Amino acid sequence: MTAFLQFVVDVLALGGAYALMALGLVIVYGILRLVNFAYGELIMVTGYTLFLLGGSPLPWILMAAVAVLMAVLTGIVTDHVAFRPVRTKSVTAVLITSFAFSTLLQNAALLLISPRPRSVPLPDIFSETVRLGGVVTPVRNLITIATAVVLLALFALLMKRSVLGLAMRAAAANFTMARMLGVPANLVITSAFAISGLLAGIVALLWLGRSASVAPGIGLEPLLVAFIATVIGGMRSLEGAVIGGFLLAFIDTSLNHLLPQDLLKFRDAFTFTAVILILLWRPEGLIRGPAAGRRT
Amino acid sequence: MPWRRLALSFLLLALPVLALAGAVQFAQSLLLERIAITLCINLVLVVGLQVFMGNAGILSFAHIGFMGVGAYAAAVLSIPAQMKGMALPDLYPLLEGVAVAPMVAILAGVAVAALVAALVSYPLMRLSDAAAVITSFALLVVLHTLMLHWSAVTNGPRTLFGLPKATTLGLAAGAALAVIAVALLFKESRTGLLLRASRDDEIAAGAIGVRIPALRWRAFVLSAAIAALGGGLWGHFITSFSPKAFYLKETFVVLGMLVIGGASTVSGAVLGTFLVTLAFEGLRAVEGALNRAQLFAGQVVGLTEVALACAMILFLILRPGGLLPTAEIGALRRTRPESDR
Amino acid sequence: MLEVAGLEVRYGAVRAVRGASLAVGDGELVALLGANGAGKSSTLRAIAGALRPAAGSIRLDGQEVLGTSPERMVRLGAAMVPETRDVFPDLTVGENLRLGAFTRRGDAQGVAADRERMLAMFPVLRERQDQPAGTLSGGEQQMLVIARAMMSRPRLLLLDEPSLGLAPTIVQRIFAMIVELRRAGLTILLVEQNAAQALAIADRAYVMRQGEIAASGPAAEIAAATDLQQLYLGG
Ligand SMILES: Nc1ncnc2c1ncn2[C@@H]1O[C@H](COP(=O)(O)OP(=O)(O)O)[C@@H](O)[C@H]1O
Ligand SMILES: [Mg+2]
Repeated sequence: MTAFLQFVVDVLALGGAYALMALGLVIVYGILRLVNFAYGELIMVTGYTLFLLGGSPLPWILMAAVAVLMAVLTGIVTDHVAFRPVRTKSVTAVLITSFAFSTLLQNAALLLISPRPRSVPLPDIFSETVRLGGVVTPVRNLITIATAVVLLALFALLMKRSVLGLAMRAAAANFTMARMLGVPANLVITSAFAISGLLAGIVALLWLGRSASVAPGIGLEPLLVAFIATVIGGMRSLEGAVIGGFLLAFIDTSLNHLLPQDLLKFRDAFTFTAVILILLWRPEGLIRGPAAGRRT
Repeated sequence: MPWRRLALSFLLLALPVLALAGAVQFAQSLLLERIAITLCINLVLVVGLQVFMGNAGILSFAHIGFMGVGAYAAAVLSIPAQMKGMALPDLYPLLEGVAVAPMVAILAGVAVAALVAALVSYPLMRLSDAAAVITSFALLVVLHTLMLHWSAVTNGPRTLFGLPKATTLGLAAGAALAVIAVALLFKESRTGLLLRASRDDEIAAGAIGVRIPALRWRAFVLSAAIAALGGGLWGHFITSFSPKAFYLKETFVVLGMLVIGGASTVSGAVLGTFLVTLAFEGLRAVEGALNRAQLFAGQVVGLTEVALACAMILFLILRPGGLLPTAEIGALRRTRPESDR
Repeated sequence: MLEVAGLEVRYGAVRAVRGASLAVGDGELVALLGANGAGKSSTLRAIAGALRPAAGSIRLDGQEVLGTSPERMVRLGAAMVPETRDVFPDLTVGENLRLGAFTRRGDAQGVAADRERMLAMFPVLRERQDQPAGTLSGGEQQMLVIARAMMSRPRLLLLDEPSLGLAPTIVQRIFAMIVELRRAGLTILLVEQNAAQALAIADRAYVMRQGEIAASGPAAEIAAATDLQQLYLGG
């Protein structure tokens, strides 16, 4: 029973983080049909902002807010540098510009800060543990679960109830038609990048809590997680991204429990095999997403 | 098939490679020789990537992963028996006594990579373009994970050393020329033509009964085999390496060369490789000089990548097809109007 | 209200519209007729800003609007109903209508009144308000896209083949709605292949052939011209 509860908490905590990461990627993909390879760098930027603010007398929550804001701004800048100028040219062009932008940001960090990890300030609560029905778990995990629940609910509310959310869903289904109803293309796209940055920034705070440090390559794992989760989930569906995130967490956590120690380091390879099997069965992913629709 | 233009393209592309090799022989400079060999190996890698990307129209990130597979597979076979105990302490006993000629080892590495690519890539070729790119990226990460942790054959994250230095300029240049020829021929082959047609109109291609995944798969396997050739050659040139040599940084550089030159043409791949390799050597020298002069507190790292990233973004904005977007160099004269869409 | 002159639309090497000129006066219902592929939809899409013409001039109330974005055209008072009948299938009927009023934030009362007006005009939509628009029948979807376009309170309505693929009785009802909208003072540019029916309700008409305006005049005259068939077929 305890082992089961432990497993559930692990899956939910990891899945919450994964789902938010995947959602941040899919919100842009759904509307533009373009993959943002510089997505992981939003997490890096959040980390370095925290590091740079580390010595300041600001309360942590304020530093965190500034760091998340920087992720939002970086998201919007990504649009302007890597997406907007080549958006209408080709899918591959955008993939490469965003990959180049990602390399640019990483190497800028390498050049201007350091190749070595830098520690980020975190509140004490992040390193505490609690006992819950016989299970000992980091408080951070519970914070992650709570954050995921709140953010997913807020996000669903925004998409279902607000006019902006409606406009974004409409644009995801048929961008040109949405524009012909007066929905400004730039508003929708900027909002998508801003939301993407917001989700990445908040996830970053939780993600950084694991190692309490930031290095130029920190964005890679979240990027990969978001990629795999969205491919399993179905690329174009917001629900799919969330489901894919939790499913990936389930696979990862199961492997953590099942694999013997000497195979554990190959976990990613096993996860990837599982993903290939899912794709053999369903090349479109688990959830189809909105019908029809082309890129702008 | 435009045999004459094909032959002309090949000759025009072979010329600079031969000229470079000749010049290096003549100059007898070790530095120049190093640059020339690097360039030839880059040609193999970039033209190999063009085989898939140029024909299928899909970006693949896994390419450099297969370069790694080729390099490690060849290394396991070619490291001399007496070195193996030190270089690969955990090696399976079965392989301990094996030490074949580097050339044989490189070709075996090519076969291993082609086999791996053939097995893992088929399901991926059915995916839509974005999902295909994403999974190829995941594949790169997985191959990297394997290289990092499969200590028995890779020595783990540590440097693997002891490869015989077998890659001469002649060998590298010969391989580059062969790969250019293969890429040109593949492009004009039935598979290549159908792939390029299907890229422009997937629905029409499907309607005439073309099975796109199968075509893509052939291109992918060929491309991976060429990458492994590049890996084997590089391994026997540099003689020691670690898994991080086959990861995002190298992927980025190879992709940059292809994009700047023009992914749709073999000529573009060759041109891009020449330009970027030379620019890179220049920038590396600057970086080195800056570090030696100690103008800055720490080491200057990443400058080269920053420059290449900026160049790539600018290129894609201003000239999205690269320098040679549609026509091979041997066809430039007659089909000029088509080259500017 | 609308003057188009020398309009050129190209898709790569295809010249879909070749120097077309037409005008629609305030409160007029003008039909744009022509065979399949004549360039009618391209003309309409160019006016709506959904594609960028290669050359020409488009004036709305005397102001040049060529190359204006589609979102701006709506704000200038021109609403478009494309022939593809693009409802947002996963959004409910109500949400589709709400999006139609996207440009009118701050006018909640006006929007609510217009919504009432549209629901009164198309009662089926009221019944289906909470249903995903993708579940509507073709005729209902056509009503929805017209109602949705009207929610922006346009002065000029661009209608692309509203009768396409619908049963005759439904077509009758849709044409009746068009007449009603026009009577309420709306200016309409109606693209149709269904010439007889369009000419019956239009004031004036243009006939397009291979990207050019081949004939124009009062609807009655065009309808009376015996060579209509020929104009269509390019004889
Ligand atoms: N998106 C497009 N791409 C290429 N050609 C197009 C496109 N849309 C229309 N065309 C071509 O332009 C011409 C005019 O089409 P269209 O404006 O749709 O005519 P109509 O609405 O009168 O049937 C046709 O020959 C059609 O094939
Ligand atoms: Mg039409």
